[in-house]
Amino acid sequence: MSGRSRGIFIAGFLLPATVLYALFVMAPVLQAFAFSMYRWRGISESRTFIGLENFSQIFADPIVWLALRHNLLLFVGTSIVILALALALAHAVGHDSGTARFLRAVYLFPQVISLVVVAVLWMFILNPSFGILNGALKAVGLEAWAIAWLGDKRTALAAVGVAHVWHALGFYIMLFSAALRTIPHEVMEAATLDGAAGLVRLRHVTLPLLWAVLRIALVYMAIGTMNIFALVFLMTQGGPDRATEVMLTYLYEQAFKHSDFGYATALAIVNFLVVMALSGAILALLRHNPQEGRA
Amino acid sequence: MKYIQHALPAIAVALAAVVVVSCGRQSTTATKELEVACFKGGYGIDFFEQAAREYEQQHPSVKIKVWGNPRVWEQLRPRFIAGNPPDLTYPGWGMDHWALVYEGQVIPLDEYLDSPPFGKTEGKWRDTFEPALLELCQYQGKTYMLPYFFSMLGWWYNKDLFEKNGWKPPRTWSELLDLCEKIKAKGIAPITYQGIYPAYAVSGFLIPWVISAGGIEAFDNAQNLVPGAWKSPAFLKAAQMMVELRRRGYFQEGANGMDHTGAQMEFISGRAAMIPCGTWLHSEMRNVLPPNFRMGFMLPPVLDDGKGDPTAVGIGIEPWMVPTKGKNRELAIDFYKYMTSLEKAKQFVEQKGTLMSIRGSDQANFPEHLKEPVEVFRRAKTVWSVEYRQWYPKLGKAVEDATAALLSGNITPEQFVERLEAAAEAARQDKNLPKHTYKRGQAR
Amino acid sequence: MRRVLIGGGLWIFALSVVVPLLWVLMTAFKTGPEIFTSPWGLPQSPQWQNFVRAWQEAGIARYFMNSLIVTLSTLAILLPIGAMAAYIFARYPFRGANWLFGAFLGGMMFPLFLTIVPLFLLLARLGLLDTLHGLTLVYVAYSLPFTVFVLTGFFQTLPQELLEAALIDGCGPARAFWKVMLPLAKPGIIVVGVFNAIGLWNEYPLALVIMSSDERRTLPLGIANLLMVEQYQSDWGALFAGLVIVMLPVLFVYWLFRDRIHETMVAGALKG
Repeated sequence: MSGRSRGIFIAGFLLPATVLYALFVMAPVLQAFAFSMYRWRGISESRTFIGLENFSQIFADPIVWLALRHNLLLFVGTSIVILALALALAHAVGHDSGTARFLRAVYLFPQVISLVVVAVLWMFILNPSFGILNGALKAVGLEAWAIAWLGDKRTALAAVGVAHVWHALGFYIMLFSAALRTIPHEVMEAATLDGAAGLVRLRHVTLPLLWAVLRIALVYMAIGTMNIFALVFLMTQGGPDRATEVMLTYLYEQAFKHSDFGYATALAIVNFLVVMALSGAILALLRHNPQEGRA
Repeated sequence: MKYIQHALPAIAVALAAVVVVSCGRQSTTATKELEVACFKGGYGIDFFEQAAREYEQQHPSVKIKVWGNPRVWEQLRPRFIAGNPPDLTYPGWGMDHWALVYEGQVIPLDEYLDSPPFGKTEGKWRDTFEPALLELCQYQGKTYMLPYFFSMLGWWYNKDLFEKNGWKPPRTWSELLDLCEKIKAKGIAPITYQGIYPAYAVSGFLIPWVISAGGIEAFDNAQNLVPGAWKSPAFLKAAQMMVELRRRGYFQEGANGMDHTGAQMEFISGRAAMIPCGTWLHSEMRNVLPPNFRMGFMLPPVLDDGKGDPTAVGIGIEPWMVPTKGKNRELAIDFYKYMTSLEKAKQFVEQKGTLMSIRGSDQANFPEHLKEPVEVFRRAKTVWSVEYRQWYPKLGKAVEDATAALLSGNITPEQFVERLEAAAEAARQDKNLPKHTYKRGQAR
Repeated sequence: MRRVLIGGGLWIFALSVVVPLLWVLMTAFKTGPEIFTSPWGLPQSPQWQNFVRAWQEAGIARYFMNSLIVTLSTLAILLPIGAMAAYIFARYPFRGANWLFGAFLGGMMFPLFLTIVPLFLLLARLGLLDTLHGLTLVYVAYSLPFTVFVLTGFFQTLPQELLEAALIDGCGPARAFWKVMLPLAKPGIIVVGVFNAIGLWNEYPLALVIMSSDERRTLPLGIANLLMVEQYQSDWGALFAGLVIVMLPVLFVYWLFRDRIHETMVAGALKG
């Protein structure tokens, strides 16, 4: 195939997707980038150019730092829980028994229903008066523990985190169980024969072989927690007293409550950069499998 | 060329889409069309739809489309930006009304207000409104929005519970403390509130007590961003009163975590005796009210030696506006005049059980639970409204956050007023925030 | 011992998924006051009217059709053009390919509601607002990143030999794609299709802003509307019934395709 006809073939095949994407996604994104340098109420087309003023304001805004802290807390907290639980449970659902297939399907339910439903569901579960959680606690005599999970500064962020884990866990169980299946059976057997079992085997055999997948999983988790919005917005609106404020809820507030679209767009860009940096850091820090080189 | 052949279907579909769209556009007809976009909340939009049908009957060449949903502002905003808003709109609490005013997206209505009301040839439409309510719709001397129904803010109490125990609605602070002790002794929570939305506590506890302690000036000054107004002795006193109730255990355990439905459920199920709320309470809870549940309305108890007017009542309006780029301005105004005619106003009161901003509408046959609010309003010599929340949204949010912190016991009253004053200072310093000055006009 | 712990953990998590869903189902049959007074008990008598009210208030029949039309048309456009682009990224490297691929992926990370306003203005200018085909085109564009990402992975796993055989036989590269490679990738296409369908079925923010007239709104708008209206009317029974109505079809379709979905989600993610 000649170089030129190859080029035309490539262009032709890429064209429809690229055109639609450029028109409806990229162009609005770039325009949104431009908006970050304006003061704009978002209610008419008139706006004032202010250069990088929005960005310097972001740097000085204590709530931005608070929100970022919450995002990172959510990232660290939920990642640890998800990694631990998913790895532990992935083994068990990896094989092809009927039970395993049934469980796998059930685990993905939360991913499949809309986030609005997930949020509303958890609000009902955590409702102080008639929710399942407090109902169960009272039933076993732990009345003192039946607090307003979403209304209490100390527990609100964790409560949202739990809902997030519930929603996301199934996917990672699937991911890890499939990845585990790619480990050749003989390697596992050899390790066991050599006397390695349990945690030792996990550390020296499983983890190294799963390294690439773990890296990707962590990046997904970073993106998911930095961009978390619907759950927080619906469950707590960032409260109480900003105890669950995250970047995107703050952004939404700036755009739609305070009519400060320029600032909101600038926040989106900053968040985007943080996500990029975090993903990049994860990929770079975890590039070298610590077990490589050892047989 | 086969690759192009295969890409063609996709391109064709896209082109076809655009073509179909352009063919689909209708030609304009001779009838006049009006689009009315409304917030659909506790009172629904059926009343407005009905009014539209009636108007169409009287004016056969007119077609009115009324639509709405509980978050209509989300759809209205992009339309305003695109320069294609509806002709008349009630955007609801989520819309930044004042931004629309600052950006010239809604018209000033004074010339229409000076014209006769619906179906009349004389008089001024302006005079059919309660003047205190019209005042809230002004900016720099011009009126940019109009009220329709209005809500009153106060405390609701469980009438049957009170009567059964021989309790009387408390008028003063000392009466309140006594009563709460008695209620608590019966194992009932004296007061509950909607903790997740601190706005209820702000208008149910904080502001009434600021006014009681320092007179209406204390609140007016705060709204006008007078330096130091937000940490005045009146504010400190009000904060201390809230903390006192908390200290004595008169607030329901867990109220901080309740949303409006939760707290209101506690009230109507009898587990709490009193709750701050607006006159929409009955309508909002009608599907879950126990049969024969009677709710009584009262003003928050005032300080025994309070400086402020004990009849002062808080109100809230949800305005209607006429967008500048709407296509049928005159028709929009005329239709709204119809909706605010005395007859329609009385119908709204009767059907929806809420007060209307039209004078004389309280002569309607209003439902039982509206009886006490109407009396309160007739007696009120002073009327106040939480405007700073719309004028300076960041200040509004700061006040709510601080109130939540105060009620959770996380900050002291001194820290509380410092936070408020700091937020007010930020608003003062913000050069990009248009400032409002509220001059208390004619007395009620 | 560890087996027991892990086994227990499995079932605990499974329960944590199934129990709340069953609870919602049970609660959908209760009256408003019953929901608050006996949240754990069985309903006294099944309140089928809840479902009727939810159905009506959410305009479900009408919105269902709209959602169906939009979802199917989106898939009909998305899958072919997505597969075509993915095939190029997988098999035909060229200068700048990585940048373009990165551009596709990057779009997934920018928060949606900030592009909504420029997008809205664009659609207004093109006359595509409040039209089912306008929404379709937008959905195609916003579903491309995920589709291209996953299918690229799929095409990378296909054996090179079959392609070479086809090319040697005289097939042009395009024909080789349609006749040989695409059919091979069918399992992946099906699953990407199902996965997209579920996402499109539940899509809310774009539909909210683009579709304003009642006749053209999609199911999630109807359900969200229901949820919000009930907050003002405290019709909790109807609210729960609405949740059930919106969850069941999705869960059902998912259950039918569960194994395929599992494979694809995993394949795509692993290849990344």
